[in-house]
Parts: sequence; C-alpha cells; structure tokens
Amino acid sequence: MINVYSQLQMQAQKALGGLCLDPQNASSGPFVLGNGDFFIEIPAAYGCSFSDLTLTGANGTALPNAAELIDKGIEIGVESRMCNAIKVASYYLEAGLVRKPDLIITSNSCCDAMDTLGNLINGYQPWVDVPKFKMDAPHSFDEASYKYMGRQLRQAVAFMEDVFGKKMDWDRLREVCVLSNKQAQLLLEFQELKKAVPCPANPDFSRLGFAYDRWTGERVSPQITEWLEQLVSATEARVKAKQGIEGIDEKVRFLWQDLAGSWPPGLLWGRLQKELGAVCIMDYMSYGTLTPIELSSEEAMFTSFGKRFLLEDPMNRQALHTTDLFCDDILGIVKDFKCDAVVMPAHIAHRDTNSRLKIVRDMCRAKGIPCLVLGIDIWDKRHMTPDVAFDRMKTFFQSTGLI
Amino acid sequence: MAENQPLVLEKFSRIAGSLANPSVAAFKGQGGKVVGYFCAFIPEELFIAAGLLPFRMRGTGSENTERADEYFTSWNCSFPRHCFNQALLGKFDFLDGLVVGSGCDAMRYIYDNWKQSPLKTPFLHLLNSPHVSGKAMAGYYKDELARLKSALEGRFGGKVTDQKLWDAITLCNETRALQQSIYDLRKSPTPPISGSEMVAVMVAGASLPKEEYNADLKALLAELKQRPAAGKYPARLMLVGSCGDDASMCGIVEELGAVVVTDHTCFGGRMKYKGVAQTGGDPLEAIANYQIIERPFCAKMGGAHALRAGAIIAAARDFKVDGIIGQRLGCCDAWGGEFFMLRDELKDAGIPLLVIEKEYISDSEGQLATRVQAFIETVRR
Repeated sequence: MINVYSQLQMQAQKALGGLCLDPQNASSGPFVLGNGDFFIEIPAAYGCSFSDLTLTGANGTALPNAAELIDKGIEIGVESRMCNAIKVASYYLEAGLVRKPDLIITSNSCCDAMDTLGNLINGYQPWVDVPKFKMDAPHSFDEASYKYMGRQLRQAVAFMEDVFGKKMDWDRLREVCVLSNKQAQLLLEFQELKKAVPCPANPDFSRLGFAYDRWTGERVSPQITEWLEQLVSATEARVKAKQGIEGIDEKVRFLWQDLAGSWPPGLLWGRLQKELGAVCIMDYMSYGTLTPIELSSEEAMFTSFGKRFLLEDPMNRQALHTTDLFCDDILGIVKDFKCDAVVMPAHIAHRDTNSRLKIVRDMCRAKGIPCLVLGIDIWDKRHMTPDVAFDRMKTFFQSTGLI
Repeated sequence: MAENQPLVLEKFSRIAGSLANPSVAAFKGQGGKVVGYFCAFIPEELFIAAGLLPFRMRGTGSENTERADEYFTSWNCSFPRHCFNQALLGKFDFLDGLVVGSGCDAMRYIYDNWKQSPLKTPFLHLLNSPHVSGKAMAGYYKDELARLKSALEGRFGGKVTDQKLWDAITLCNETRALQQSIYDLRKSPTPPISGSEMVAVMVAGASLPKEEYNADLKALLAELKQRPAAGKYPARLMLVGSCGDDASMCGIVEELGAVVVTDHTCFGGRMKYKGVAQTGGDPLEAIANYQIIERPFCAKMGGAHALRAGAIIAAARDFKVDGIIGQRLGCCDAWGGEFFMLRDELKDAGIPLLVIEKEYISDSEGQLATRVQAFIETVRR
C-alpha cells in the first residue's frame, strides 16, 4: 500500500516540480500569463498554456537559492514587507526571466500583494504590446457576485477569441468540465476519508492532489483522474483496515490554517508526525468545498465558474471574504475532522490573517479549542526556522495536555 | 506662513487636529446622525441625501496602537491600526454608524474587528467596492451603492430619493470646485497657502456639514486673495501617496524652506477631482461612474495606473513642481507596487521622485527631515 502512495507522490511532485520554470517551458499553443489562478478549465479547453506568476514565485522560495531570490526581490524596490512569494515573482519579472506571454489575464484576487503583482505585470514595459484583460473579484459570495464574476470570465473567453482569432470549442469546454467535476468529486472523497481516526493517509496528499489538479501542465487531464482514483482506492482500503499513516502513532490531530510553507513537508509536519504523533489533518489549501460545475446552459456554466472562482478556490475563499466565513470553516473543519487544536501559522505577509487573529483566538477559546499563533514566514525560513516552529508547537501541545 | 493666518484657516486647523468637533456636536444636538466611513471611494453624497453627516475616518491624535494591536498585528498598515485604536479608546463614540469599504486588505478587516469588538456603533455596513476600473465594475458598484442606500433608509428612516441624491451631488460638486479653486491659487510662484494649511482645509472638509464647509471655503478664498505673498521658495514639491490627512510631511518640507504646492493623496487632490457628471438619469449610476471610471483612484484600483500616472504628471507640470515626494505607509502593498512603476515613468517625464516608507504616526521625523533635505538640495531652483 505504501508503494502506491510513494508512486502517487512522485508522480505529482514531478509534475509540480516543473512549475518554477513553467513560463519558459510552456511550449504548446498560445501562452497566457496571470498573477493568480485564472479558471483552469478555460485554458485547458481552449488549448493554450497558462501560468500563474504568483505560484512561480512561491515555488521559487522552495529552491536552494531561495534566500538570494527573496533578497533580489527586496533590492528591486517593491514594498519591503510584501509577501516573499510576490517579491520573488517580481524579481523574475523585472529580471526578464519570464517568457513573454501572448496574452495577460489578471485579477485582484486574492490579496493586495497578488493584485500588485498583477499591476506590475500589466505595467511591465517590455510587454506593453501584449493584450491584457483584468478581472475584478468581489469580496462577497452571493448569487449576484457569482454572476458578476461569471460574466467577466465569459468576457475573458471572448477576449481570448479576439486576440488569438480562434473560437472556443464549447463541446470541448463541456468535456473538460465533466472531467473537472469528476476530479473534484474524487478530491472530496479523499477528503471524506481523512475524517477517519486514525487518519489513513498522509494529509499532505490533499494539497498535492489539489495542486496537481489545478496547477500543473497536465490540467484537467485523464491522467490526474487516474491519479486521484488510485489515491481514493488506496485510502479506502486503509480506512477499512483501520490503519493510520504508515509508521505513525497518531495522538494529536491539528488544523494548520494557512499555506503549508515552501520547505519540504518532512521538516515540520513529517517531524511532528514522527516525533510527537501530531498529524496535520487539514490546511488552508487542502480544504475542498467544490461543487459541480453546472452544464445546463452557458450562463449557468459561467455562473458556477464564478462561484468556484470566488468561493471554492481555497485561497480566494480564505482571503477574499469576511472573518465569519473564515471562522465557520475553522469550526467546521475542527468538528468534521476531529481536530484537537488549531494552529494559526499567521504568515507574516497575509494581511487578512494578521487582521483576524483575535477573532479566531477568541472563538477558539469560547469553544474550548486550543489555538496557537505562530507568526511565521511560510516562504522564508530565516524568519522562523521549521525547527523553531516545531519547538513552539511541541511546547503548545505539551502545555495544553494534548501530548 | 502661519502669520496672518485667516480665521477660517484657524478653524480648519482646529477641526483637522481633532476628531469630534463643535459642528459635529451641533449637528447631533439637533437630532442629526453621524456616519463614519473608510475610504475615499465611498460617496459622501449618499449619506448627505439620507440626511446624515458623513465623517471621514482618520487616526488624528493617536499616540500608539496599544489597544488595536490585539486585533491587528504589526504586519498591517499603521493607518487602520491607529484609527481602530482611537475607536477602542472611545474617540469615535459620537458615531451613529460606520461604513467600511473593501478597499485594501487591512482596511476591510476593520469591519470584522469593529463588529467583534466591544464597540457599540448602532449601524455597521461593509461596502464592496471594485478593485478594477471599468464599465462592468461601475455597474456592480452601483448595485452595491443601492444596497447601502436601502440599509441607510432601513436604519435611519426616510427615503433617499433621486432628487435628494442629485441635490447632494450638486452640493459635493460645489465643494470640489471650491477646493480646486484653492488648489489653483497654489500655482502662483508665491502660493498664498502652504501645504500644511491645505491639508487642514481638505481634512476639515471631510469632518464638517457640507453647507457650512462650502461657506467657509468661499470665505477662505476671499481671504487668501488678500493674503500677503509669502515670497518665493527654493523648491516646489508635490506629495503622492495614500491617506494624506497628516500634515507632518508638509511640515518637514516647509521647515526646510520649501513648499508643497499640490498633492495626489486620499484626503487631498484625489478628493476634489472634477465632479460627478450631472447628466440626469440615475444618480447612483453617475456616482458609480465617477468613483470607478473617472476619478484617479488610490493604487488599490487596478487597470487604472495609466490614469493615475497621467494625473500625477499633469498636476506636477501644472503646478510647476521641482520634485515629488512619494509617501508609502509600511505594509501597503498597493502603493509599494505603484511607486515601483511610477519611478520609471516620472524619470522619463523628467520629474525627480523621492519615495519614503513611513508609518502613519511617525516617530522618526528627524530621519525623514534628513532625507527630504537632501532631496530638496538636489531639486532646488
């Protein structure tokens, strides 16, 4: 069984490993660049490659020379306390390391720093002749907002058609959406299996699965469906056998309410599992709330695109909306996944999280949920090393009687 | 320039230097309701049409962020932290309501924190404002304004009719035109009003009933036309950045003998930009178009950099400035990126730029003065 997991891990990591160089390697079809997620089903169906420069920057912080890249980002002169993933992305851009796109599609999602990167991309002088389309992601999640977002995504398709002189193949888009719905269902099935005690599979697979599904060059392909089916199948077998993660004596289940950090998972989560039996059951990027894309009409399809973009993309869900939703998610996860504690990494450049910590702390206290705030830089271990985070979390688990 | 200070300026200085003021108290004394609002893209016209007194939120008088730090960490902009700290100290207890716009990330969460805090402001509303300039976005904003209108009607009573909105638009357009007239006086080689004084003029405008303020502006205009010339300055500067309700940077410049003759800030030049088009039809649509398409906005507004940069360069030339001081509050991602882009554009336009990262309430004025002094030396006439 463990061999299946190892193979799946290697397959996904291999696909994800190319992301740093994705803009340079993009070879097939027109190349579209964005500052964040677009809506992957659209470029996948249209036959163009899409790259998210924020993700490229974030992946840069996992490289051996990450510190140097971050420092270069500071030296070019953007905001000194801006998110380091954006600094690296800005450096890539300004140093001319990003392949010139055929089209730029940006939006303000999901945070000010990503929005700023979008503005830098749009204002980048060597690309002054590249057609540009910018979308406005509202800070609300209701039917009117989904329609508003959906209309903009529809306009983005029309813009692509104008720029590239090729019409969208609507049948192909529907096929891609059917496949996407299948993959979303499989991700949710895997998520459901993680509720088992002990947790049957390394929780990092959720994140890996989401990233594989959403971000790789293999976007919405049958290969990913197969990968997810194998993951679900292998995990179902372990749940039936009441088996936890191989080699782990699970004692504490915790929620890590932020991005995972660009250091290798073994440095913190793996160590917590092995040494303390503390398992990160859920994190910010893994929490799936996907609902099926509607296919009954074009308008319904784009409205559901709008909903998925605004509410079901994990980062947009966490960062665009009110603290009420953020807190509801935390409570829901803690209850459904039987978490013993909430860890708020509070990535230093996440302005949203850094503005809602008291509310989260107060809520956890009122509900009797132990809560730890770290104040970490998930992209730069010079701010707080994984070893220091480990020590703090160990002390926290000890002092709250969880271990 | 403080000598021979017109009486109106003294009033404006007092109002800008405090939060609650006698006019607000008088308005409330007559049974009026006061609604605070963050930030510049929230239209005062809507409040005025609802019979309310709009009060632009600021952190004037704040000494630290001790109370607010429990809610916002230091990895957030100091402007909302100081404002919220003042709120927690009871300085905004005179408010009957608060409308927070979803401008930048830190500002948005003032709404959540206000709601969860012990503050008992009776009416709280989060106004979703677009972050991209465009026709579709203006349409969305119009719907959001309609929701705010309904909420105001529901809470404070009375019907906000189209006629009341047009009347409010006329009133606010008059304010903008009067403010522009005062700005125009600063084009003179010997401007009759300093940058610090102008900050007070603009801040007071966001803290007083508009009728009273417009009357004061007319009186001020007359007084300024009679004010003795202050002499020529070695350097004429422009301020660009966010907030702009704090006159400390102007003070530093003026202590060093130079003068700030214009600005592009949220309390300043961006507020008085032209006016809402009075074309008849739907007043909310006219307001939304003004706020989302026409005005040179805060850097949080994407797709509008060219408009913003164009307005800055045009003002710099119009007011014959020798250089621009860019004020960037720490942790402000939007202006961080904006100045990065402006750097090259201003260089191409031959306009020197000094970008300073500072906190809303600065405790390092000595350091700032050293940098500003060096800048003045390089641009002086």
